Amino acid sequence: MAEDIKIVMFCCNWCSYGGADTAGTARMQYPPNIRVIRVMCSGRIDPQFVLKAFKEGADGVFVAGCHMGDCHYDAGNYKLDRRMRLLYKLVEDMGIGKERLYHDWISASEGEKFSESVKMMVNRIKELGPAHLKDQLEVEG
Amino acid sequence: MADKAKIGTMWLGGCSGCHLSIADFHESLLDVLELAEFEFSPVLMDTKYDEVPELDVLIVEGGIRNDENRELAEMLNEKAKFIICYGTCACYGGIPGLGNLFTVDELEEEAYINSLSTVNPDKIIPNEEVPHLESRVRPLEDVMDIDLMVPGCPPRSDVVAQAVVALLKGETIELPTTNLCEVCPREKPPEGLAMDFIKRQFEVGAPEKDLCLISQGLVCMGPATVSLCGAECPSIAIQCRGCYGPTAKVLDQGAKMVSAIASDYGIDEDKTVDPEEVANQLDDIVGTFYTYTLPAALVPAKMQKGGK
Ligand code: SF4
Ligand code: SF4
Ligand code: SF4
Ligand code: FES
Repeated sequence: MAEDIKIVMFCCNWCSYGGADTAGTARMQYPPNIRVIRVMCSGRIDPQFVLKAFKEGADGVFVAGCHMGDCHYDAGNYKLDRRMRLLYKLVEDMGIGKERLYHDWISASEGEKFSESVKMMVNRIKELGPAHLKDQLEVEG
Repeated sequence: MADKAKIGTMWLGGCSGCHLSIADFHESLLDVLELAEFEFSPVLMDTKYDEVPELDVLIVEGGIRNDENRELAEMLNEKAKFIICYGTCACYGGIPGLGNLFTVDELEEEAYINSLSTVNPDKIIPNEEVPHLESRVRPLEDVMDIDLMVPGCPPRSDVVAQAVVALLKGETIELPTTNLCEVCPREKPPEGLAMDFIKRQFEVGAPEKDLCLISQGLVCMGPATVSLCGAECPSIAIQCRGCYGPTAKVLDQGAKMVSAIASDYGIDEDKTVDPEEVANQLDDIVGTFYTYTLPAALVPAKMQKGGK
């Protein structure tokens, strides 16, 4: 069901997770389909994390980090940015579709951007419908 | 001397190359035969599937591609005390695993109807008296209880012969856990394994003699590949394609390579290099990074429409 879709979101501790906090403190509304996982820096996002999320049944994955120049470890987000470009191609080739994956930069003060991006992603995935990868992989034989 | 151990060998979804590497034991075969006797081997001798003896050691090549593979694997699982998962097809699905990018219908149509060398005017796909393909290739451990994994496409005969002799003598076997770069003789640049461009080998010609291939623009799977082969390919100026599979610390060999290549791409201009540049130069991500291990990857098969 489109209402049950699950999106795994990775947020870096210093900016994007702060953005989620800002959105929360300001009581901005966004759909509950998102599960946020905090990592210290977006540069810590290993492509294995993203693929594992899809394998375990995520319908979409959203990776967020600091704006360019703001990474607290200097350049983690630049590295993540390059990795994501390869990952879009990989998930497309694996039939998951590049639309189910998204990355963007959200600062700690951008509560508004946080809630808007989440809404955008949830709508996008609802339109695509659930990813049945997990069901497919569980088929025996 | 005590009774000789009973060894069996079996092939499932493989190419028989792994059996050639057993046949290639050379003089070590004599050491093996001193301790053991081959009792069952459909590839090398006349054997019957309904008369399989109890075995002390079974060496299995190939993964699970069809229902016959599964049936035989289940039967042999009951017959053997110690099972060696032999070769990359058995351990990780291997090259046949790239079939997981297609549906069974697509594979059958390609094999029986579309392929240029096939003459089949009535477009008949045989489905009686032949094993049926399963929905995807799976590594052997999905069906059998594995005691030892020996990857390689095929595994190096000398290494395996040593391991088998040690096993038969009751010694413990330790396979290396480091990655290929650790044993590769090529010089690693101090700034790390970074690329500024990606090229195919024919575009580069002969690579520089002693320098790491990655820093010369060639995709080498060394960083994500286990060092069991002793870096055979980079030693002779060919990039590693990852045929021995990942190290034990890596869940997904391809994803690890995506990370290794992309993270350090253009590192000298870390903040100004176009982030698309690396992706633009790699067309076949799955074919490049998952040549040997797709069935064991986190996402082991292409998601079909709706996934049903
Ligand atoms: S691992 Fe390589 S040599 Fe062994 S069966 Fe598979 S393709 Fe053949
Ligand atoms: S040539 Fe390949 S295996 Fe050798 S150090 Fe470079 S990346 Fe590692
Ligand atoms: S260098 Fe790589 S491709 Fe060559 S034999 Fe070793 S693991 Fe296989
Ligand atoms: S700390 Fe936010 S991206 Fe590095």
